[in-house]
Amino acid sequence: MRLLTHNMLTCNIKGVTKGFPLSIEVQKLETKETDFNPDFLKNIFPKLEWKAFHDAALSVGLNDIPEQVDPVMLEDSEFLQKFHHALLEVHLEEGALICPETGRRFPVSKGVPNMLLHEDEV
Amino acid sequence: MATLALSGCSYSPCWAGCAGKSTFQSKRKLTVSVAKPSSAGGGSSVTAVCAVGGKQRSVPELNEGIATFYNESSGLWEEIWGEHMHHGYYDSESSENVNHIEAQIRMIDECLKWAGIPEDEENKPATIVDVGCGIGGSSRYLSEKYKANVKGITLSPIQAQRATALTAEQGLSNSVSFLVADALNQPFADGEFDLVWSMESGEHMPDKRKFLQELVRVTAPNGRVLIVTWCHRDLKPQELSLTPDEMELLDKICDSYYLPAWCSPADYVEIAQSVGLKDVKSADWSEFVTPFWPAVMVSALSFKGLAGLAKAGWTTIKGALAMGLMVQGYQRGLIKCLVGNKPDLGKSFHMKMLENR
Repeated sequence: MRLLTHNMLTCNIKGVTKGFPLSIEVQKLETKETDFNPDFLKNIFPKLEWKAFHDAALSVGLNDIPEQVDPVMLEDSEFLQKFHHALLEVHLEEGALICPETGRRFPVSKGVPNMLLHEDEV
Repeated sequence: MATLALSGCSYSPCWAGCAGKSTFQSKRKLTVSVAKPSSAGGGSSVTAVCAVGGKQRSVPELNEGIATFYNESSGLWEEIWGEHMHHGYYDSESSENVNHIEAQIRMIDECLKWAGIPEDEENKPATIVDVGCGIGGSSRYLSEKYKANVKGITLSPIQAQRATALTAEQGLSNSVSFLVADALNQPFADGEFDLVWSMESGEHMPDKRKFLQELVRVTAPNGRVLIVTWCHRDLKPQELSLTPDEMELLDKICDSYYLPAWCSPADYVEIAQSVGLKDVKSADWSEFVTPFWPAVMVSALSFKGLAGLAKAGWTTIKGALAMGLMVQGYQRGLIKCLVGNKPDLGKSFHMKMLENR
């Protein structure tokens, strides 16, 4: 699971109002290189919850993502490289996503998050 | 005519589908609780379970059954059919000399064309969810077509892993990713997706109303929902239910494929309207999919197919045996596949029915 995916996931347990962002529990990370595409990054940027992305990056050991971004930074190739790496190249292979409100753990196994709810959670 | 808007409506003679009647008579051990929607379109949701000779599956059992079914049989299906797990679109009744993979891709294109999904830069979908994504055939195709970011969800961890692997092989990992998640409780915020796509997964949804509500929830303003799903034929004006023969056939199919009770196209249209969808458009595409199941059977009966089946578990074999039942169902005009379209509050809904007469 990349941080791009993490940025879109929320906990929808019945009654939960603050199910985003999920915290990340890391057991195994992998870095998988992928083609650098600045246009892609510029297009995806407005759709991201940046604070959540920044915090997620920290939790996977990346501290070079700024807390706030000025759109002009999207023209800076050094920033874009860091953005690219954190967003797309770092994969949580094993671990869990944790609901900020309930503490419920959603396991991540072989890179795939399991977001199924139990019967009493819907 | 089955105008009652139910989620997971039953095909047994246990509810009266028209004009607000709600008598319950059943010759089978089927439990269906029916709530008519209020005139405001509210109404409590209905949970129907598929009854097979008295055996009923609860929703958790059904979901587990679906996951296990696809965990076990997805590999074999992929070997025989490739990455797409839906009907192909054919121009004629003949299945000879037709490349079935091309037919499956054509099905996607024909749906998108029919639904009028825009392709121009300004209006094309940028974010897409593939609900019931299988091993990601549609997800990858849609991502490439629109250069969109696609999330696929499935109940089967094996499928999600396989989908991820295939996607990496095809170099699309940047744009397409997969999760194990429930279509009825999706782990996404409201309005996340420009296009919400459900290609032949609606059959598995035990609560059709909740299914449609959830699809609408995750659709962006000015977004679209497109569903392709199997239904049973509409009931005739004087009919309260399908015939016992028909119900028996559907029962067997349900049991083999882990399907909850079926709706008719009219039911679906009404549910769609009751969850606030307007302009629901539907089309009958049965004739275009008729060659599919006989063609699947030919594949299954090939040496490769039989060898695979010989190694497969009972669940998979049963699913394969049920193919004959699908052929019967289509030939008898019983099984329908639905396409529909709806814009509401700027959201369009396209629900496709492939109806076989």
